[in-house]
Amino acid sequence: MWRQYLLSLLLIPAGAAWCLADDAAQPQQFQHQITGLFAQERVQDLRELFKTLPQFKLVDVDFETAEATIAYDPAKAFPNAKANQVVEQFDNLLRNASKHTFGVKPLCTLDSARLKLVEIQVIGLDCKGCCLGAYDAIYRLKGVEYATASFKVGKVTARIDPEKIDRTELETALKQRGVQLQAAE
Amino acid sequence: MPLFRVRAVCGDLPDFVRCLSMTHLPPIIACLLFVAAGEAQTDPQVFFEAHCLECHDAHARKGGLDLSALGVEFTKAENFGRWVKVYDRLMSGEMPPPKQPQPSPADRAALTTWLRGSLVQAERQKVAGDVRTGIRRLTRAEYENTIRDLFDMPGIALAGELPADGSAHGFDKNSDALDISHVNLAKYLEAAEHVLSVAVAIQPQPPTVKTQRISLANPHGFVAHVLLHGDGVLLKNKQPDPDFPPAAEQMHIDQGAHERIGAFHNGASVGLFRHEDESFHPYFNEFVAIYPARYRLRTSLWSFQWDKGRVLPARGIEAARLSIVQLTGDGRGGGHPSTVLTYFDAPSLQEQTHEIVAWLNASETIGFNAASLVGGHTRGKSRAMGFTGPGIACDWLEVEGPLYDAWPPASHRRLFADLPLVEFKKSDQPGVRPPPREPFRQRIFMGKNTADPVAGTWTVASRDPQADADRLLTAFLPRAFRRPVPAEVKQAYVEKVAERLQSGDCFEAAMRWAYRAALCAPEFLYHVEGQRDPAAATATQAPSQAAAEIDDYALASRLSYFLWNSLPDDRLFELAATGTLHAPDVLHAEVERLLGDARSQRFIDDFLGQWLKLRQIATNDPDRKLYPEFRPYLQDSMVAETRAYFRELIEQNLNARYLVQSDFAMLNEKIAVHYGIPGVNGSKIRRVALPPDSPRGPFLTQAAILKITANGTTTSPVPRGAFVMDRLLGQPPDPPPANVAAVEPDVRGATTIREQLAKHRDNAICAACHARIDPPGFALESFDVIGGFRTRYRSIGTGDPAPRGSIDPFISIDFKLGPAVDPSGVLPDKKTFSDVRELQSLLAADSSRLLQNLAERLAIYATGRELLFSDREDIAAIVAATMTRGGGIRTLIHELTRSRLFQTR
Repeated sequence: MWRQYLLSLLLIPAGAAWCLADDAAQPQQFQHQITGLFAQERVQDLRELFKTLPQFKLVDVDFETAEATIAYDPAKAFPNAKANQVVEQFDNLLRNASKHTFGVKPLCTLDSARLKLVEIQVIGLDCKGCCLGAYDAIYRLKGVEYATASFKVGKVTARIDPEKIDRTELETALKQRGVQLQAAE
Repeated sequence: MPLFRVRAVCGDLPDFVRCLSMTHLPPIIACLLFVAAGEAQTDPQVFFEAHCLECHDAHARKGGLDLSALGVEFTKAENFGRWVKVYDRLMSGEMPPPKQPQPSPADRAALTTWLRGSLVQAERQKVAGDVRTGIRRLTRAEYENTIRDLFDMPGIALAGELPADGSAHGFDKNSDALDISHVNLAKYLEAAEHVLSVAVAIQPQPPTVKTQRISLANPHGFVAHVLLHGDGVLLKNKQPDPDFPPAAEQMHIDQGAHERIGAFHNGASVGLFRHEDESFHPYFNEFVAIYPARYRLRTSLWSFQWDKGRVLPARGIEAARLSIVQLTGDGRGGGHPSTVLTYFDAPSLQEQTHEIVAWLNASETIGFNAASLVGGHTRGKSRAMGFTGPGIACDWLEVEGPLYDAWPPASHRRLFADLPLVEFKKSDQPGVRPPPREPFRQRIFMGKNTADPVAGTWTVASRDPQADADRLLTAFLPRAFRRPVPAEVKQAYVEKVAERLQSGDCFEAAMRWAYRAALCAPEFLYHVEGQRDPAAATATQAPSQAAAEIDDYALASRLSYFLWNSLPDDRLFELAATGTLHAPDVLHAEVERLLGDARSQRFIDDFLGQWLKLRQIATNDPDRKLYPEFRPYLQDSMVAETRAYFRELIEQNLNARYLVQSDFAMLNEKIAVHYGIPGVNGSKIRRVALPPDSPRGPFLTQAAILKITANGTTTSPVPRGAFVMDRLLGQPPDPPPANVAAVEPDVRGATTIREQLAKHRDNAICAACHARIDPPGFALESFDVIGGFRTRYRSIGTGDPAPRGSIDPFISIDFKLGPAVDPSGVLPDKKTFSDVRELQSLLAADSSRLLQNLAERLAIYATGRELLFSDREDIAAIVAATMTRGGGIRTLIHELTRSRLFQTR
């Protein structure tokens, strides 16, 4: 018990939060930010993925913030992990299970008011692979907290820390990936 | 020779002979010695003086021949060769020249009879007591086939690892061409080790038979890339896959993202608009063979017409090629080494499932080519959504295997019979080294199939190694050596096994040592031909023939290496063992059996590869501007046509006229369209009746032959004429003089090759030979470098716009039509022809000459030795017997195998 408590404490600075009261019969629930949720339909993909991971239960997903509540026992799921390694190992696990289309990263620590929403109009094929490609181009950039991509609606969005990145850098990254930007009207 | 006879004759000699010293007996005098001895009905001196010396004495020396100085020491090779030429020119009627006074037929016959007798006598004296077929090693093809059949490993690849064979007298089977060096021996050792590592089972149970269904758009492959760019599409229910819209003005981005998200693994079919080329090699590389074995391959194919996003019925049956690809090296610069497996049909909008069982070696995968498509990129501005044209869809490829008839497999049982496989435990056998093992594993990272885990080291167990070694080698060595093995030879191998066991080898390792030694032994690597017991021989042959007659085992090998290019099977061994193979009826039945077996295709491929130079089909790639319609599918179809045609000649026992003239052809759709023959659909070669005025069908006008005799850019009557003279008529022209420049055809279209050759022939030195060589080549000017019929030359310079003809509408035409082709000519016997059909009729009229040439070629190939002048009688006898029985080529093969030529050493 004390070990779980300690782990939970350590997970807070790592970006996760325990949400519910400790219950010996139920694994604890943690909140993580999910990478790879570039479109609403990906929520269902995420649910399907978690069905293949019996040690984890996907409790809830908020597409708007890319945050998910997941129930699991860190001691069982990552028995050799130090507390500050759990998110990293969870990320690795999820990435391997999803062929590197989903991952986990620490929750955003910035005040949402500080985040700036950038919308970039793009042209491309209505294709999940292309959306993933566009999303991949930007979501790991420093200062990008979360992002979406949809060629169906012709838009890539990113919530960014304006002190670390700007629109131009996002557009450059997209263009380098082969994404065609819609000319400004 | 009594001196007085010489003196008596000398009184009648002309002045130029009188002046010669008697100590340097001139040849003419020597001729007269024979005359004086009464060996000819006419006087050669008179004959030569009347008809030859005017041009061929010491002063004139036309053609470099001075008969007055030509010695009659026939045992001297140079003299002998020249006299043979004299004989041939006289026999053919080429000499004396038509404009000169001609000898009477009786005089000509008398002289040629004398000359033939002299030549034969001299040659037989020279070779008396010699073994005519020199001891010779297996060719690379023979080696590979022998191993394949010996171990029932029908696709193990070995030939490519061995040094190339030479060629002598037109074939690589002659001992003159089959030298051996330390490199060969080192390679034989490597090959033997490899063979044994593949043959021996190293696990107690067979590898799990797995069925793997693979999309052509597999990860890391070329196809996914071209799908992104619009050279293909994903299809579901014969419509564009809604999850993967066809590339349009925007193409798909990020191949890796699509692979990770599973865009190519959603059950969609792959529709391609593009064939394989230098930068596009579609592989099904999610499967890469781990276990060398047979695999069942199934694939589902169909075709369609793509119209800017719509799937419509196809223009007809398209064709796709499967190939075996060896994933060795980095594969750059033209892809990996590959061999064509087969072509399959892809019907319009109707899936057709094809199945084939093929042997795959480790690290081999399956390649795919949308072969009948001619388009390359469709990357216009709108990519696939702007493209209208044909496509081939591959739903999937299924690989099932590895397949074994039993376990351990036949290859293992040939080596270790029924000895059990047990786990090798060092604790049970202290001091014994375990067998060498290299566990099976997936060596190619793209391959998703994996090897079965095997716990422990498994090997053959023997309770009585000495006795088992004796038993196993008793069974193996005669099969490998193709004849009974003397007890002392076998014992030497058994003792080596004993030595290895004593040195600490386990039983399997010791036996592998012996087997490796056997596979590198002269008895295996060489054709060892024993002499038949004369007592047995005289029952069926004349005593003179019996002296050099090969024994039954050698006859079995002669037959099998002739018609299978491999070792004899059990049936041939049994007949050899019972001494009945020489019996004519038994021999006839065996030839029929061998020709009816699928292995006879090896004979057809190997023989045609050399006789008609089919091995050189890919020596050059036709100029893309002049011949944009050329594709690998056309080239493969050319080769398939020639092979199928020869098989048809044999199976239908058609006569030699069919070498140059035919009323049918062996065609598939590709080659039929190329020839302008309608009504042939699909990729399979079949017999097609030809209209009466068609020149197509025979070897003479087959695209393969016409491509081989061209240089990829232009044609010339000279090499084509020389090919016809040499390969079809058996009259090889002399090589060109060293100081005469070759005629280079003009691709700009300003002058024709005939005009250039006319100037060349103004040179008297050139004229005589070209009068013989060029005429067949002139007729074949009706065919371009890829065997297409033409009435005008193609030009990349001046000329008229070219009509499309049968060229696929997706091929752009940049060439023009230049000067007209003149296919007329005059043969050396003054017979004229106006086109290739008339030439065909002239050549076909002398079918015995065609048959004689084929008989000679087959004899050289089958016996592994050159034909001597004195063999002409045997060839003539074979031809005569064949003609008596209808002149069929199958009959010719029978007559050859029962001939003295074939059955003597």
